[in-house]
Amino acid sequence: MEEVDKILIHALKQVGTDVSEEIDSVKQFSSELIVEAVVRCIRVIDPSLGSALATSLPPGMSARFRVGMSLAQACQDIGYKGEIGYQTFLYSSEPEIRALLMCLVEKLPRETTEASDQPTGKSVALQRAIATAIKAQLAVPWLPINCRLPLYSETQSPGALHSFHVQPLRLPHCTKGPGKKQLKGRPHTTHTAYMLCSFDLEIKDYQQDVLLPVTAQTFHHASVVASILEQHTAELSAAQEWDNEWNSQGLLSRLTPQEYRSRKLTRLQKRIVEQLRSNALPSPESAPGGPRSTSELRELLQAFRGSAPSDHILTKGTHFTHIKKFTFTQVKENTPSPLGISQEGDIQQEELASFKLQFQQLCSDVNQLTVLDELKQRVLGNSEKEEKMQVKKKTINLLPDPDNNMLKLQALVEASVKRVVSLATQWEKHRAPLINEHRRLKEICSNQDLESSRKLSEIKYLHDKIRVSTEEARKKEEIYKQLVIELENLPQDVSRSAYTQRILEIVSNIKKQKEEITKILSDTKDLQKEINNLTGKLDRTFAVTDELVFKDAKKDESVRKAYKYLAALHENCNQLIQTIEDTGTILREIRDLEEQIETENGNKTVANLERILDDYKAIRQENSVLAAKVREG
Amino acid sequence: MATTEMQLMLSVALIEKDVNGDTLWVWCYPSVDSDLRTVLLSKCCLTQDSSRDFHTFVFGQFCRTWYYITTVEVQEPTALNKVTHFSIVVTAKDFNPEKYAALSRILCRMYVKHGSPVKMMEAYITVLTKGICQSDENGSFLIKDYDVRKAYLAGSVKDVVSQFGMETIILYTALMLKKRIVVHHPRIEALLEFTRVLPALTWHRKDWSILHPYEHLTDIELEDLKKCPGYIAGFVDPEVSNRSDLFDVFVNLPDGVITVSQSAKEAMAMGKLHKDVGQLIVQSAEDTERSDSQVIKDISIKTKEILANLVALANECEDSKITLEALKQHHFPPATENFLFHLAAAEQLLRI
Repeated sequence: MEEVDKILIHALKQVGTDVSEEIDSVKQFSSELIVEAVVRCIRVIDPSLGSALATSLPPGMSARFRVGMSLAQACQDIGYKGEIGYQTFLYSSEPEIRALLMCLVEKLPRETTEASDQPTGKSVALQRAIATAIKAQLAVPWLPINCRLPLYSETQSPGALHSFHVQPLRLPHCTKGPGKKQLKGRPHTTHTAYMLCSFDLEIKDYQQDVLLPVTAQTFHHASVVASILEQHTAELSAAQEWDNEWNSQGLLSRLTPQEYRSRKLTRLQKRIVEQLRSNALPSPESAPGGPRSTSELRELLQAFRGSAPSDHILTKGTHFTHIKKFTFTQVKENTPSPLGISQEGDIQQEELASFKLQFQQLCSDVNQLTVLDELKQRVLGNSEKEEKMQVKKKTINLLPDPDNNMLKLQALVEASVKRVVSLATQWEKHRAPLINEHRRLKEICSNQDLESSRKLSEIKYLHDKIRVSTEEARKKEEIYKQLVIELENLPQDVSRSAYTQRILEIVSNIKKQKEEITKILSDTKDLQKEINNLTGKLDRTFAVTDELVFKDAKKDESVRKAYKYLAALHENCNQLIQTIEDTGTILREIRDLEEQIETENGNKTVANLERILDDYKAIRQENSVLAAKVREG
Repeated sequence: MATTEMQLMLSVALIEKDVNGDTLWVWCYPSVDSDLRTVLLSKCCLTQDSSRDFHTFVFGQFCRTWYYITTVEVQEPTALNKVTHFSIVVTAKDFNPEKYAALSRILCRMYVKHGSPVKMMEAYITVLTKGICQSDENGSFLIKDYDVRKAYLAGSVKDVVSQFGMETIILYTALMLKKRIVVHHPRIEALLEFTRVLPALTWHRKDWSILHPYEHLTDIELEDLKKCPGYIAGFVDPEVSNRSDLFDVFVNLPDGVITVSQSAKEAMAMGKLHKDVGQLIVQSAEDTERSDSQVIKDISIKTKEILANLVALANECEDSKITLEALKQHHFPPATENFLFHLAAAEQLLRI
């Protein structure tokens, strides 16, 4: 019982009830304390109900009566199933109060489980600290410089503001000596190895002696933070981008990282060269040079960002642009620059002379071309005719003996045909297996490709799994850390472990008692069985004996006496047994009554009755006073 | 015939596509040089996307060699294992699609039946030496069945005229003046059918070597094309419409639009003479009783008239070559004068 009371008192203290330190059991609760406790509990459980109730009992009796009734009503609304009325609060009894308080405390919402929202890691805690600090600073009112306290001069003056200036920093771990990579890669002579080693040493010397620490590398001290943030973000994003690219495209290309990077580099360089080349060609509209270059640069950069089709837009034209170009040039020609007439004449003469020259040149060109054309055609015709001539010559040579020669020719032709066919068969014998081998190997290759792509997808899947698992592990670690901190911060006044120990002890006790009870029950059962057996035996024996003796009792006097004694014996024994049974029953009743007396004593009924009588008298007085008041006024 | 003709057939080759998706040049007789081999591989529909249609028979010209490619899909059961499709390429000096198509069909069937190119080669050699070959179908293949004139006249001029109507005169003018014509159609069969008939408009020359019906926009082919002063080139690639350096006249076949490029507009100016000729062509083609060959004959008669006129004019001048001044003396209308001038240049009757 003490533990229960302790728990109740602790819960009530948490709710806000003012329980003094000496009170450690519910028996010692006064009515006022009971009322306060119940009201506070109700307020926490159900604020709407609790707001109407006051925490203290008013002095007037009727008022106290009313308060008691409303409290009882509230408790019933909350869901207390037991019998409750104003008497529970005004004339309390320990068991009732205990039951009520236990019910109310159980109904109190569990704050601890709700308070644990998202696990707050270190970074969130840091952010919260920053937020509170800034809030505090903002809350401080601004004062002019003269009135300012030196404490706030830093935070309130504009001198604290610095623009976000970034400078490139040189950190030792970035400058991975190229010498290291080369040393790993290819075989080299000792001389180059020596060179590379010395190169490495120089870098180390530079890093040790010359390179300033990061905080001293910037011009302005305030830009250290900015520069470091910038550098870290750049490195981090570069690493992430590389990771993403490698995991998506790099693995698919089945190259090593270095090969992939070099290929990407060549590809980008080629693209840049193409773009620059296509843009270096003069554009059709010859606008003045200056603004043209900037707009072209913009277009150039745009084209880099865009995909391939934009290249086409730059290099190739459509009918429309061609026509435009054509009309453009027409318009150009129609607007000659205005000059003086005499100058015009001179210029026209010059133009005429140049045109004549051009015309003569073109004429000679055309002549040349036509001549060349003729020549080509004639050459072609010649070669064909020559071939024909060769055949005819040979035929003529064979003419003198036509039949023989025909036969010879035919035989020759057939022989060469046979030879060619045999060569072809021989070649086929070589070719067919080679082609089959080629195809077989290609098949194996494609199968291997399938295998490797399957393995790649597996690798990707494993990568994803690893990533997910690391995330989870990190999160769980954070939660664990945070929970450990919370555990340390928890109030130590209530030791849950003591309670759990007691509960476990009680449970084991109960188990033992249950065992004992079952043992006793079984013993009792056995005894009862034996008693029944014996009673039965007794009855049967007596019946038999009775009959036996009675048979002989009619004839013999002594047997009759014996029979009388037997009957008396039987009756007396019966009485004895009866008395024993009665004694047992009465003992049980005594025990029950004693228990009842104890519980009744706990109710402090007498004291309550006296109090009730007093209160009754007080109420009657109040009533009469009120009645008098009403009659007067 | 086979003995007096020159040897026209040059080589036969085999391209196979196997179950791995590779297209390989597996066999050829006697030999094919590497440029031609690259071009032939690119023309064979097996190297192109499988989403494109499958072309049973295509032909074209490269470096004055005609090639004829027949493609066959291998059906089970067959002696060829691991081959899904194959193409037979026959190269020759002459233009005769029907002849070589028939020959290729026979060779294909032989190859499928026997699974080895040796038998195919035997048939090819028989044709080469004797001009005749046994075929699986009843009858045999005789070279002399396939006269070259038939090949020239196999196309349909009436279709051309019905599609373009009066604009056919542009094509006629361009051909007479030995200009560069580029035809575009996304489907190769339509392209081949259309372009093969165009040289028939200048029947007096009977020159089908200007015909390059199946070209791609690759450097090697374009270089070969540029060697010819005037040509008819067919492209499947729509990008060719942007290459104004390749043509004087551009024919967009699916849309039925003929465009003359700016640089050639001057030379292709047309006047009354052209109108007359155009009307003649249209009338002749619309006449349902006249066959294709008769239409071509009508056109060639008119062409001969014009040429006879020109030769007569040339004979008036010294060394039978016209000069511009001589032409001007006749006070032709400017378009006709221009046309005659350029025609004289094309027919090599001009002196500057």
